[in-house]
Amino acid sequence: MAAKAKARTPAAANERQRRKLEAVASTTRDDAESKFDRLIYERVRLGIMSALAVREEMSFNDLKGLFDISDGNLGAHARKLEDAGYVTCTKSFEDRRPRTVYSITSQGKAALNRYLDHVEAVIRATRG
Amino acid sequence: MPPAKPVNLDVHAIATLRYIRASMDAAGSVAVPGSAGIVMGSVGVVATGLSLVPQLQAYWLWIWLAAAPVAVLGGGLLLARSASLRSFVIPGTPARKLALGLLPCLFAGAVMSVVLWSAGHLTALPGTWLLLYGSALVSASVSTLPIVASMGLFFVALGIAALVAPGSLHIPLLGLGFGGLHILFGFLIARGVHGRES
Repeated sequence: MAAKAKARTPAAANERQRRKLEAVASTTRDDAESKFDRLIYERVRLGIMSALAVREEMSFNDLKGLFDISDGNLGAHARKLEDAGYVTCTKSFEDRRPRTVYSITSQGKAALNRYLDHVEAVIRATRG
Repeated sequence: MPPAKPVNLDVHAIATLRYIRASMDAAGSVAVPGSAGIVMGSVGVVATGLSLVPQLQAYWLWIWLAAAPVAVLGGGLLLARSASLRSFVIPGTPARKLALGLLPCLFAGAVMSVVLWSAGHLTALPGTWLLLYGSALVSASVSTLPIVASMGLFFVALGIAALVAPGSLHIPLLGLGFGGLHILFGFLIARGVHGRES
């Protein structure tokens, strides 16, 4: 009972809030990786990473149909993820037609997990 | 100029999680084409029509046994156009999950058909087929469109009805299921109704 009363004081509440915010901040690293983490904050890139996390590989057309975006738009987003080492791109020919297939790398999976940790920490911190 | 309305951080974070979940769900499912249902249903309607012809009524079992592979082939070919054959083989892919969801109940249906035929309980076959095919659709719906589960439940209901209904209603119930339900849900899927939360 006494402990509950103590937790309700402004100082204790502030301390608890500070700890939660620190927990959120700790999920956003301030090292070299953080600038790459920002890559998947963008909606389409986050969608591509999420889709590739459950499928071993997806073709360009699969992804295009899934997110209903133009070739150029998807190509640009996929290139950014590829440059960051989050996805790999394999180009081949199927029935003489070019086929581009994407798959997520272990580095990409780790980045997506970090992002999910961050979102979870935000929800915990704000909902208490 | 009025101040911008603040957005709660947690609301934004939950919306992000929902988007991730929706992307994963969409990527992890097979887009069953509505045309596959329509083709399979058309075969069912033809089989029903033939089975109801007085001179052919005695051969209803053989008519439906012939119709089944034709319908599976037609539906399978249309499905294979949207999901590559390779995706049925690679572990963890949606097409493989779809096949694994369908096959146990279909296999049970095949075994039960042989058992019931051997025992001379042919009147139990229509209900068993409808019931087990419906169960197969419900379990396969996990890796395809949610509306497939609804179609499966209708099949299950028809199956139960066929098991308790008089023999004269068996062929119409088979037609209602393998013909009517396939065509109805095929059209719904083709029109973009898939039962998934938007």
